[in-house]
Amino acid sequence: MALGDCWKQLSWFYYQYLLVTALYMLEPWERTVFSILSRVKVTLSGFADAVWRKRRRLVVNEPVQRAGSDSLLISVAGMAVYTGYVFMPQHIMAILHYFEVVQ
Amino acid sequence: MTESSTNKLLNGDACHRTSSGRKSSKNGFVKNHCSLQLPQNYSRPREKNQNGTHNSSLYKKPFLESFEETPLLVAVFTYMSYGILTIFGYFRDFLRHWNIEKCNMAQEREEQKDFVPLYQDFENFYNRNLYIRIRDTWNIPVCCPPGATMDLGERLTFDYNWTFKYTGKVMKGIINIGSYNYLGFAENTGACNIADVATTQKYGVGVSSTRCEMGNLDIHGELETLVARFLGVESAMTFGMGFATNSMNIPALTGKGCLILSDELNHASLVLGARLSGSTIRVFKHNNMQSLEKLLRDAIVHGQPRTHRPWKKILILVEGIYSMEGSIVRLPEVIALKKRYKAYLYLDEAHSIGALGPKGRGVVDYFGLDPKDVDIMMGTFTKSFNGAGGYIGGKKELIDYLRCHSHSALYATSMSPPVARQIITAMRIIMGEDGTTQGAHRLRQLSENTAYFRRKLSDMGFIIYGNKDSPVVPMMLYMPAKIGAFGREMLKRNIGIVAVGFPATPITESRARFCISAAHTREVLDQVLEVIDEVGDLLSLKYSRRQKPRPSLGWMAEESHLQD
Repeated sequence: MALGDCWKQLSWFYYQYLLVTALYMLEPWERTVFSILSRVKVTLSGFADAVWRKRRRLVVNEPVQRAGSDSLLISVAGMAVYTGYVFMPQHIMAILHYFEVVQ
Repeated sequence: MTESSTNKLLNGDACHRTSSGRKSSKNGFVKNHCSLQLPQNYSRPREKNQNGTHNSSLYKKPFLESFEETPLLVAVFTYMSYGILTIFGYFRDFLRHWNIEKCNMAQEREEQKDFVPLYQDFENFYNRNLYIRIRDTWNIPVCCPPGATMDLGERLTFDYNWTFKYTGKVMKGIINIGSYNYLGFAENTGACNIADVATTQKYGVGVSSTRCEMGNLDIHGELETLVARFLGVESAMTFGMGFATNSMNIPALTGKGCLILSDELNHASLVLGARLSGSTIRVFKHNNMQSLEKLLRDAIVHGQPRTHRPWKKILILVEGIYSMEGSIVRLPEVIALKKRYKAYLYLDEAHSIGALGPKGRGVVDYFGLDPKDVDIMMGTFTKSFNGAGGYIGGKKELIDYLRCHSHSALYATSMSPPVARQIITAMRIIMGEDGTTQGAHRLRQLSENTAYFRRKLSDMGFIIYGNKDSPVVPMMLYMPAKIGAFGREMLKRNIGIVAVGFPATPITESRARFCISAAHTREVLDQVLEVIDEVGDLLSLKYSRRQKPRPSLGWMAEESHLQD
């Protein structure tokens, strides 16, 4: 039965996701906390994405909530980009202003 | 290139300008000119070449070890999973601290909370938040002799491994590939068992005294002469506990003003013994002869740290088989180094005695060397002989000294008589003195099983560490969730394994360790391999990036394996 095979494959992928992220070892309520946090993160990334697209006059069609399997990658990538391009420069400029190295 | 480097090592004539010690570099280390040369090591997929080269002229047969490097993606995911677990660990600790959640672990009392915290270090954090989560795969009670198959007591947990309830049910017939039962003596039938029962009836079980007082039984003397004959040394002494053999005898041999050169991955008993002795300890990289030689040269040239006096003695601590890596010590090279630099060698054959070598006499037999070259041969009876306790063998003067000066002989109770009888019987069987060929058969079965199991596992695509001939087979798991998952899945399919993580291994290199036994038949091994294959696919554990030989052409598979 094709649907049964598909379901088996999906559940295997879900199992791999649990193993690789160590969610396998967490209790069910901790997994819920993790998925809520990751969905919140991806929602925020999605909003940022939407704002960027609106500025470039593109229409957002796809739903904001994405499948669990890529939310972590986007969260991690989003955090890295935010840290590298917004957080660090802003605070380094503030420090340099404080020490009067830069006006 | 390797031929000439052997000559350089052994007669030293080609060593120039650094022998006088005048030309030392800024940080106080002698420039290495005479060490074993590192050739260009070309090997397919990148090996962690910790061991450098090996002088092939010292070895009578090829020394094949492999420690395949961790794939990058696996390493990234391992760190990521540890990161997530650490975050949740902090979160749960926060909940416990603010009493939102009940704390099941040991805590300081209210009055002590303002003092130095007792449970804030990493080991306790790891214990609370990572170990407890998967600890149902460890310590499962065994209800029968741990032979090729065993019975495990079932236990359930309703609060995520904080407490266990024993239902009283026993899971029967679990295949055991985790016990140190190399020659299959862990059984409750057979010649050993009959002799043990007779001895218990004659002597009882307890000894009620130490060796130096009233605990010296005639059976101990019989055991010691047999052990000395088995090893090929002048004299031997036995102790009641294997761990205590190391930790209590190294302090008797070395003291302040001595130097101990210890392998990186030595067992806790050796490390404890070295620390208790009060000697200076220097660590060389695992099985790396260049590192050892460098340390020896530095020690001899510079002497003791501040006074520059020569060291009273230099003791090299190595093990025969390292149980977490499955690697065998490079004994011919160590002996060559020891002879050149006049150091002493302490060889701990806990896992290799009885398990290696054509006659089962350990790693010295495996390499075909003279037992008189090893100054102190130590071993335990727990692994291959199914007993308990340890021995030290060597020259008669050494053993006579230890009889008076060892802490274990003076204070610890001596070996129990049925255990001693078990060891005597097992040793006689291995030596063939009981009149049957059982010993030779067991040894042959073990080496065949080892070769077969290792070849099949690496052909399937798992990363296996260690030497091709070592019966200890570590299979890499890496990710923490897979430690628990592998243990549980294997137990569901009726196979009991031992999975190891931190602190026995580096935190990112967790593994499942299989110990092959002579009691396993080919059918049992095939069954185990099939299950490991299935679970490996389920958990995607086949990390190896080597080319797998095609299974259809049997001889070609052998050839590509040899090329590897």
